[in-house]
Amino acid sequence: MPTLVIPPPYRGPTQGRDRIEVAGRSVRECLAAADALHPGLLAMIVDAGGALHRFNRLFRNGDPLQGDVLAAPLADGDELELLSAIAGG
Amino acid sequence: MAEGLADKMIRVDMTALTATTEPFPAAWRLLGGRALSARILRDECDPKCDPLGPGNVLVLAPGVLAGTSAPTSGRISVGGKSPLTGGIKEANAGGNPGQDLQKLGYRVIVVKGKPADPDKRYGLEVDATGVRVVPADDTKGLWNYALCERLYQRYPQSASFMSIGPAGEMQLSGASVACTDEKGRPARHAARGGLGAVMGSKGLKYVAIDAGKLAVRSPAVRKDFFAYAKEYTKAYQAGPQMFKWGTSSVVPVANMLNTFPYKNRTEGQSPDAATLDGKRIVESFETRGGGMHNCMTGCIVQCSNVVHDKDGNYKTSALEFETLTLLGANCGIASWEDVADLDRLCDELGLDTIETGAAIAIYMDSGGMEFGDAEGAKRILREIAEGTELGRAIGNGAVAIGKKRGHERVPVAKGQALPAWDPRPLKATGVTYCTSPMGADHTAGLIINPGMPPTEYARASQESQLANAACDSSGFCQFLQPNMEDIAKYYSLYTGENVTREQIAEMAWQCLADEWAFNDGAGFTAADDRLADCLVEEGVGPNHGMKFDVPADIIAAAKQRFEPREELYKLKATG
Ligand code: SF4
Repeated sequence: MPTLVIPPPYRGPTQGRDRIEVAGRSVRECLAAADALHPGLLAMIVDAGGALHRFNRLFRNGDPLQGDVLAAPLADGDELELLSAIAGG
Repeated sequence: MAEGLADKMIRVDMTALTATTEPFPAAWRLLGGRALSARILRDECDPKCDPLGPGNVLVLAPGVLAGTSAPTSGRISVGGKSPLTGGIKEANAGGNPGQDLQKLGYRVIVVKGKPADPDKRYGLEVDATGVRVVPADDTKGLWNYALCERLYQRYPQSASFMSIGPAGEMQLSGASVACTDEKGRPARHAARGGLGAVMGSKGLKYVAIDAGKLAVRSPAVRKDFFAYAKEYTKAYQAGPQMFKWGTSSVVPVANMLNTFPYKNRTEGQSPDAATLDGKRIVESFETRGGGMHNCMTGCIVQCSNVVHDKDGNYKTSALEFETLTLLGANCGIASWEDVADLDRLCDELGLDTIETGAAIAIYMDSGGMEFGDAEGAKRILREIAEGTELGRAIGNGAVAIGKKRGHERVPVAKGQALPAWDPRPLKATGVTYCTSPMGADHTAGLIINPGMPPTEYARASQESQLANAACDSSGFCQFLQPNMEDIAKYYSLYTGENVTREQIAEMAWQCLADEWAFNDGAGFTAADDRLADCLVEEGVGPNHGMKFDVPADIIAAAKQRFEPREELYKLKATG
């Protein structure tokens, strides 16, 4: 299964866990699976229209995902890392 | 220090109305910004002084790297004893004054004394020909934008300015010091802690700095410094550029985290998050113009927005998350456009938007006016300029208006209003608010980790306070997120000395130690390391169950030095 790496701001829904294994073959499926396990997580990652919030970025095995990031495929063992710039002002 | 210009400092005596220059002490060569301000205040200011009296010392200190070609490195610290907290204060700002001072070779301006006639106004001129205190009665009462317009008629277009508006002249405790941005607008503010009032108490309306065509400062290890700065910039630009759309876009997630305070912090979420979302501002760029820009020359992050009105004219910059929260949601005001108007008014008058927003919300909460009354809030801000009793109380901040109204829900730490980031869901940040020498200040050490176990709060807070103190001493902006290793490398190449990351950590600790010592001298005790009762007794979130319930021993532990660990040196500054 792919692993989702959770940044500190979003560890409320995961009760402090920084990594979770999630079933799915695309980013969209994995995020939906993560939200089923930890309700509230998805809304922090994507907006109501289903697009990634502007201050979030996703990386697959260290490489930034671009374009339609939610459609990007994931394979067993892949690491999907979420980065967040929620800060400041 | 670096090659080229010798380091100098400026001493201004506002009693004698003189300005002189002297060599910058070699012992301070690695100190800049916040750490330099702390050292000078520790050595030269009686902590028991009246913050608005002649004994207070106003420090204007660019970071060590300001004026160099290091990216996003030109920030300046304004320091002094705060009339708001009664303790030490450092407020940090972007814009161009920090870089221009350093290009001229000036590492710091130290202002002491007070003119005999409080009705007189003065300017301080700093350029390649020298430094002078000049009469400036014609600028008395001017709002910041009109003031800068006038100053640009008087000084070259290459000049940058630091100034106060009417709030500073009235010596109100919420007054800020404005810095002109790279377009010459007084839009960047050293806002927190009322240092504009300290400048006002000294009769100093503005500082004009003209570096003309002077080049950036020359590093000791020139070639390697330029190569490192280039590589650093390239790496940043190839990376995710997380702050590309500014801080205002975090509104929806802050709301989900219960850290988007509503109606004087009685709730952690606002029903108006959608209309206050920075996304609306970004959408407005399409039809009205405006956009993202760099508030100071050489900033590669460019997180600052420029907001236009419906007719496409400039309205304000930058409309930040903190302002949208404190002047928006916290006052029950739902429209980002109204908040933009309020932001412009605060910049004009020279007021901290956080303190002012908190004060208006307390006024509303106490029954003075309805929550959500945006026009009423604008009227109150204009009253500040008129000097009415209510205007003055709001301009003096949260505690002052709470006292005037006999209202008990006054969310502060050490007399300073809390920023948006709420210590109830973000308890480690609450530990920072309790223990930081600055009071409730998110730039002192923000930790957005709602899942953090309590056993980690103290160390996380201390490490974040150290990372931010190091950053605010270097001249880097916190949004570049440099760590101590980055700063050590830049310092080494700039000075030609081998500056280690351990030394950076040591200087950051010394900065905090100097600041705590100042506060001890001012009469603070461990009993002051706490949040207002309302934050302990009243919760936010589901069933109002999130309260600030961190035990006193964990709070106290954040001020006991932890053995530095690897993570400290790699921790990114975050404000
Ligand atoms: S990162 Fe933003 S706040 Fe910092 S200097 Fe650049 S534009 Fe200004």
